[in-house]
Amino acid sequence: MSLLAPWFLLGALAIAGPVIFHLIRRTTRERTPFPSLIFLKPSPPRLTKKSRLEHLLLLALRCLVLALLALGFSRPFLRKAEPPATDPSAGVRTVVLLDTSASMRRPGLWDAARAKAVKILDESGPADRVAVLTFDREVATRFSFAQWAAAPMGQRPALAKSTLDSVAPGWFSTRLGPALVRAAEEFNDNEPAGAAGGARRRVVVVGDLQEGARLDPLQSFEWPPGVEVVLDPVKPGSPGNAGIHLVPDSGDADRGSDPVVRVRVVNSPDSHREQFRVGWSGPGSPAPWIAPVDIYVPPGQARVVSLAAPTNSAGLDRIELRGDEEPFDNIVFVRPPVPGQVDILYIGTEAPTDSRQPLFFLRRALPETRRQIVRLLAVKPSDPLPPENLAASRLVVATARLPEGSAAALRTRMEAGATVLFAPPTAADAAGLARMLGVPSVEIVDAKPANYAMLGDLDFRHPLLAPFADPRFSDFTRVHFWRLRGFKGQLPAGARVVARFDSGEPAWIDFPVGRGRLVFAASGWAQDDSQFALSSKFVPWLYALLELSGATAPTAPNPIVGDPILLPTGRTADLAIVAPDGKRSTVAPGEPRFEGTATPGIYRIGTGTEMREVAVNLDPAESRTAPLGTDELERLGVHVGRAGTNPVAGTVPPVVAQAAEAENRQKLWRWLIVATLAILCIETVIAGRAAARSTIPREATS
Amino acid sequence: MNPGPSNSPRAGLVSVSALMAIRSLELRARSVVEGFWSGLHRSPYHGFSVEFTEYRQYTPGDDPRHLDWRVFARSDRHFIKKFEDETNLRCHVVLDRSRSMDFGSIGHTKAAYAATLAATLAHFLHLQGDAVGLLTFDETVRDYLPARHRLTHLRQLMHALEAPALGRATDIAGPLRRTAEIVRKRGLILLVSDFLAPPETLERPLTELAAAGHEIAAFQVLDPAERDFSFRDPSLFEDIEDGRTLYVDPVAAKSDYLSRLAAHQDALRSLCARLGIAWIPLGTDQALDLALFDFLQGRARRGRAQRSSAPATGRAAA
Repeated sequence: MSLLAPWFLLGALAIAGPVIFHLIRRTTRERTPFPSLIFLKPSPPRLTKKSRLEHLLLLALRCLVLALLALGFSRPFLRKAEPPATDPSAGVRTVVLLDTSASMRRPGLWDAARAKAVKILDESGPADRVAVLTFDREVATRFSFAQWAAAPMGQRPALAKSTLDSVAPGWFSTRLGPALVRAAEEFNDNEPAGAAGGARRRVVVVGDLQEGARLDPLQSFEWPPGVEVVLDPVKPGSPGNAGIHLVPDSGDADRGSDPVVRVRVVNSPDSHREQFRVGWSGPGSPAPWIAPVDIYVPPGQARVVSLAAPTNSAGLDRIELRGDEEPFDNIVFVRPPVPGQVDILYIGTEAPTDSRQPLFFLRRALPETRRQIVRLLAVKPSDPLPPENLAASRLVVATARLPEGSAAALRTRMEAGATVLFAPPTAADAAGLARMLGVPSVEIVDAKPANYAMLGDLDFRHPLLAPFADPRFSDFTRVHFWRLRGFKGQLPAGARVVARFDSGEPAWIDFPVGRGRLVFAASGWAQDDSQFALSSKFVPWLYALLELSGATAPTAPNPIVGDPILLPTGRTADLAIVAPDGKRSTVAPGEPRFEGTATPGIYRIGTGTEMREVAVNLDPAESRTAPLGTDELERLGVHVGRAGTNPVAGTVPPVVAQAAEAENRQKLWRWLIVATLAILCIETVIAGRAAARSTIPREATS
Repeated sequence: MNPGPSNSPRAGLVSVSALMAIRSLELRARSVVEGFWSGLHRSPYHGFSVEFTEYRQYTPGDDPRHLDWRVFARSDRHFIKKFEDETNLRCHVVLDRSRSMDFGSIGHTKAAYAATLAATLAHFLHLQGDAVGLLTFDETVRDYLPARHRLTHLRQLMHALEAPALGRATDIAGPLRRTAEIVRKRGLILLVSDFLAPPETLERPLTELAAAGHEIAAFQVLDPAERDFSFRDPSLFEDIEDGRTLYVDPVAAKSDYLSRLAAHQDALRSLCARLGIAWIPLGTDQALDLALFDFLQGRARRGRAQRSSAPATGRAAA
């Protein structure tokens, strides 16, 4: 056992106290009642002989308490097998992690950070090795240990510095956690085993080390022993920063309500400013500044402001915060969601007002919202399908017997990418199914369960049921089905049963047809068939079907820089994407998303004539520019060292630091304090009993 | 701090601890006296009492109601049984109820022991047909019951003895003087106290009491811890009466204490001998019937001595 503060052991000398007190005849405060003192004379306290030490057990306990206290204060720890001591001659392995996130765009920060990195490179000795990594949302290796080792001895720092020439902070968020993990792995990946030998290994993080840096992956990462993290922060000229962010808005609001944009203004705790203004703005110089609103945000707090969307939105695509000195996060781009038009072709026999039939529910389940306008065209099965409407509809819903011609037309449309939901009211009405699937025949049988049927086996991995995958929403047992059209026989290749009834018969089957698909519903949502239309599952199910058909784009509100923009599926042609800086790129039809959102601004997506606009903004976490506490890193197990470019001349000797770390980890003093308290309890009990024994019981008067 | 083993008391007929366990004072007194009576059968000293009744030959003119018919049946002679009233002695029990009596180291206090002793004496005297009175005191006289011989009076007396003591200080001299003023008729005065007062302060009131013609017996009640000072551990000794404290190491102070106590006891004994007062020191661990026995034995001795010296005393008084 070793001691971190051995001088506290001197406190154990206090043991002399109890020994002396036990030697002295107690000038006790115990009182002995006595009838009369006329025959008594006072006697002075006196020391007894050594052999007359009283209450030896109590004395031992009291001495033990003092000894344990002294030992606890001297902070003992157990030395374990230590890692091999660092060898000064083996040099230092340094990974320089340079922050290139958006918050580094503040004036002066990048130059200062770069200067620090350059200084580390310049001060490296011949035995040292340095790797340079930059990080923001991603980690990029600029100069690896292998490159360092491969470079000629005298040119290493210069080569490493040259890799930083083209680097500048971008608009991405700060993810320090993955960067630290990557840096720690750099020692193992890029250095051959044993090459480091006894060299000291350290990661120097150079950047603004802001509070908003994400550290998540460190929670599940065991920080390698012997790798020290040195934080070398750069500080802005004036502390404090305010930022503005968009508050997510639900797209389900009524289309008729007044559009309002809500923004959150955040002021960092170290800010000096409290008064800001927020208003609509746009591109151009000088930028317009419409309807500014004064807002008061004390340091460390946030306020949400509602701004009415301008009636004439031409040219006003952003909300700007003024009154803050750091401009990098003072603009939020806003594009009102443009409602997408969704065409659905309905083939059925019923009147739209018949409240027992499928069309009635279908109309009400797909209202017009800010995000989409659904146009539902109902045609009779006997009528020929209008070609232009069929071509525009990505989803066709059929609830009636389909004539041969219609079935053929639908198959053609499905092969081109459309989706058909087929829910025949009877087995006889399912005649067109075989034609649509392109198989010789399909056997469909009417069935009527004795009581009712429920959905038993649901495939939540299928996109149609994916919205219900959460256990909170996955209960379909309240939906009862009374009339079924059982699909008999072998399913065609590629067909997938999305759900089965509790009897085991398929309820919903997804048949791929060309680039499209046919979804067969063995029981519809008409009142005579089931309760499905009245259940809470119906509307989400329909929307999932719309998304599956590609009629609506999947929603990803308020993307931030680096987030992919989700693109509509089922496209047939290339999509053109115009970045805010005017750079044009093309996305192939199979690509579900666009990944190149490197700057905040308005991205225009479309096929040329019809362009959709998506606003991409800065990560709100970037506005949290208050300094990151080192204790946060230590809590995650990272060994944080002191800042200092010359590790050998560090202020804390490594041996002492290791001892302090071992003591801090073991915390043996806590157990000593617990033992002290336990002994004190025992001492109290024993002393109480001894006192009770030595007192003459006073008899109560009879 | 337990007191050490006390001097072994003489074995009584009724054990003190068993006796003190009886809650009722009257029952306690009766137990002692009845035990004492049954013990007399084995005693060579039977036949004495405070004032024994006597028979007289019937002479014409005596009330025939007072004839003792049993004696007549046995001896065929007429004897008159003398009225008990005629030979009654007037007794006063003077009991110290100060706070210093409120001390006990063996399960009961001196006050409880003294009250039992007083009740025993009163009960015994009542059985003898004597009139018994009670006078309790602490720093002054508290209760006074004149001497009477009635069963209800004895009950009243027992009740007064059972009342809790409220006094703090002790002043034996003052109450003794007051007793001399209250009790005018000659009689027997039984003083029960610990007599923890300087003997010189007691001399004058006792002399006055004795000069008034009373026959006096002084019962000194001490606790064994007081008598032997058998404490071991040093502590603050607190005077029960005035709350004064004194740090005392018993090991060092014992011999001095015992010698001072012995001197005090000697002074009291010699004072009582000088004044013709029966001095009966009692420990609270001592059997009460033996105390009664000692008292009666001493009284019989003194009675014989007094009878033999009566002419001389009568002359001196004249």
